[in-house]
Amino acid sequence: MSRPDAFGSAAPSGRDDEPLVSLDGVEVHFEKEQGLFEFFEEPDTVRAVDGISLDIEENDVLALVGESGCGKSTLGKTTIGLQRPTGGSVRYRGQDIWAAKDGVGDVEIPFDEIRSSLQIIHQDPGSSLNPNQKIVEILSQPIKLTHPNVGLNERRERIYSLLERVGMNPAADFADRYPHQLSGGEKQRVALSRALLMNPDLILADEAISALDVSLRVEMMDLMLDLQDDFDTSFVFISHDLSNARYFAEHGDGRVGVMYLGEIVEVGPAEELIEDPGHPYTNVLRWATPNLALDAAGAGEPPVRKIDVPDPVNPPSGCRFHTRCPEARDVCREETPELRGEPGGHQSACFRNEPDHKYWDSQPVED
Amino acid sequence: MASHTTADGRYDDPTGESGPIIEMNNAKVTYDGGETFVLDDVSLSVERNEVVGVVGESGSGKSMLASAMLDAIPDPGQLSGEVLYHRPDGTTVDVLELSDEELRQFRWEEVAMVFQGAMSSFNPTMKIGGHFEETLKAHDARVPEGMEFARELLSDLYLDPERILDSYPHELSGGMTQRALIALSLVLEPDVLVMDEPTAALDLLMQRSILTLLEELQQKYDLTMVFITHDLPLVAALADRMAVMYAFDLIEVAPRDQLIGNSGHPYTRALLNSTPNLDAPLSEMRPIEGQSPAPVNVPAGCSYAPRCPLATDECREVDPDFYKTGDGHRTACHRWEEARERITLNFETAGDGAGSGGSEGGS
Repeated sequence: MSRPDAFGSAAPSGRDDEPLVSLDGVEVHFEKEQGLFEFFEEPDTVRAVDGISLDIEENDVLALVGESGCGKSTLGKTTIGLQRPTGGSVRYRGQDIWAAKDGVGDVEIPFDEIRSSLQIIHQDPGSSLNPNQKIVEILSQPIKLTHPNVGLNERRERIYSLLERVGMNPAADFADRYPHQLSGGEKQRVALSRALLMNPDLILADEAISALDVSLRVEMMDLMLDLQDDFDTSFVFISHDLSNARYFAEHGDGRVGVMYLGEIVEVGPAEELIEDPGHPYTNVLRWATPNLALDAAGAGEPPVRKIDVPDPVNPPSGCRFHTRCPEARDVCREETPELRGEPGGHQSACFRNEPDHKYWDSQPVED
Repeated sequence: MASHTTADGRYDDPTGESGPIIEMNNAKVTYDGGETFVLDDVSLSVERNEVVGVVGESGSGKSMLASAMLDAIPDPGQLSGEVLYHRPDGTTVDVLELSDEELRQFRWEEVAMVFQGAMSSFNPTMKIGGHFEETLKAHDARVPEGMEFARELLSDLYLDPERILDSYPHELSGGMTQRALIALSLVLEPDVLVMDEPTAALDLLMQRSILTLLEELQQKYDLTMVFITHDLPLVAALADRMAVMYAFDLIEVAPRDQLIGNSGHPYTRALLNSTPNLDAPLSEMRPIEGQSPAPVNVPAGCSYAPRCPLATDECREVDPDFYKTGDGHRTACHRWEEARERITLNFETAGDGAGSGGSEGGS
């Protein structure tokens, strides 16, 4: 499938039947730095991402939610080829990204092309924009890279029309400013414009709206979704806020994935996942989402047994959530539940979804 | 600038049996020799043992309000007005009149403050326990008893006291450091805790957990709390009363349920409608158009008028005073009745005063 980019030229594409990005059994383990005297000991391993498989299609939206340290950013970066997995494979239109990087086997799509098709916007737009460059200079770079033959005037025209498109009027005025002369929301729009100028197939928005005021978040999400239609991109949207994930996934006709300690514990269409959570942890995130309904406004007790996340160096055995889960029983310590349900639909990893599981005969976990 | 106060400088805030503990009257903060206002004639009283949630967007002046309560405005800002503190023994002091030494004692022992970013509040080279000891010594408190109380506070906050006291700040997660900071702010048993975005930069689950813990602390130690945030739904879970700031001034103050279910200010209603939440129909969440003004060119008249769908010539010319719009509810808007009718709330409030009636769309 080829599609026109901002300049009307066709974007290259690989095999049509392959998903845009496909992750298969991806693991990312980090070794913790060791002191001098621990040199001969086994290093501690942080299991940031542990055995995740998922596909992202064209024009797809995947919203990842979870607590700090659950591995959602690492998973996102692995998806766009910024982080090399320590196990499993990541494919872009059927081409193994890291095989392309290393030049192993038949490389159908060069690594540079893959990297420019997979873009990122960060949480803190302030530190991702060069403070010494005007906006017009920052935005010229991707055009120079992707379209080296485009002249100065046409480049300016492109930049101005894109700035107007993201709501920065008058564009000529904004283009001549430096990043520090922009508000947080405006900087994030520039970061988004810069990503779009690379004609990406997929943009990773890593907590891209978390630093904005609550009242500006809906506006920014609407903008990203509008641009998704215009530019035909997919989004991986990372957030710790289930209500934002719901908004983004529901409007973008995508899925929400819930992560806990390096694993996806539930994935599915937003509304289904929120109305009928299949994992107790999803229920915890639901509780954590503020609600304006007055009868529910009071916080009440959290539906977890411990409020702190366990150390990812030695994740709990069995179901990793068993140390905090209000429903945990002895079997959860020993056996690991798998993602079950309709593939590509609503799936969750909890024994409670299986009416015949021995969970139901097991004793509740005692702290 | 129109004054927002009645002749005697007070509002008809309902005074409970216990009466106010802090009364801020006509507080004004200026920079550049009076040219730039960052707090414009704000009056707010805080009742004993209540939780007041102050909500505003970035740059609305909400942090200045917190700093003004403790006379801690960053230089070279000038604070004028009056901040009265009513001690439990019945005496009253004006915080702005205190000497440096009196202020130093006042700030930890009577009113304590927690800022956002606990990491930068702790000295990275000192263990958490050291911070508790130093604080106790600096205020001539007995250390053994104080540390005993510190341990109790830490376990109230679901922390393992021995482990936390023996850790350096970088060894703890963000949520743990922030809770340790809350414990530290309470170790001298203050009556009032002022918190400025105490849970920002933490994930939602930790934010909500901390709020639950704060509620328990408030009841256990009879605390009065002022909680300042940009996140309206978050503080709604905790607050008894809420105050909304816009462009360096309070624009609406009301009991929590009133503010959420029956607010009279178009800005408050827009803020409520712009908040993503799990139950509102997605199609009805909409952002607030336009931007809030910078401190240098606050418009004449109502500062929200340029963004307000109901603004008339009166709004553009006359800065609205507070109207009494309900029991303990005051709203600085000429058109509050119309706002309630025409700006429909997009969520189910299910409670008293949930009169979001009116069939017309607001914008």
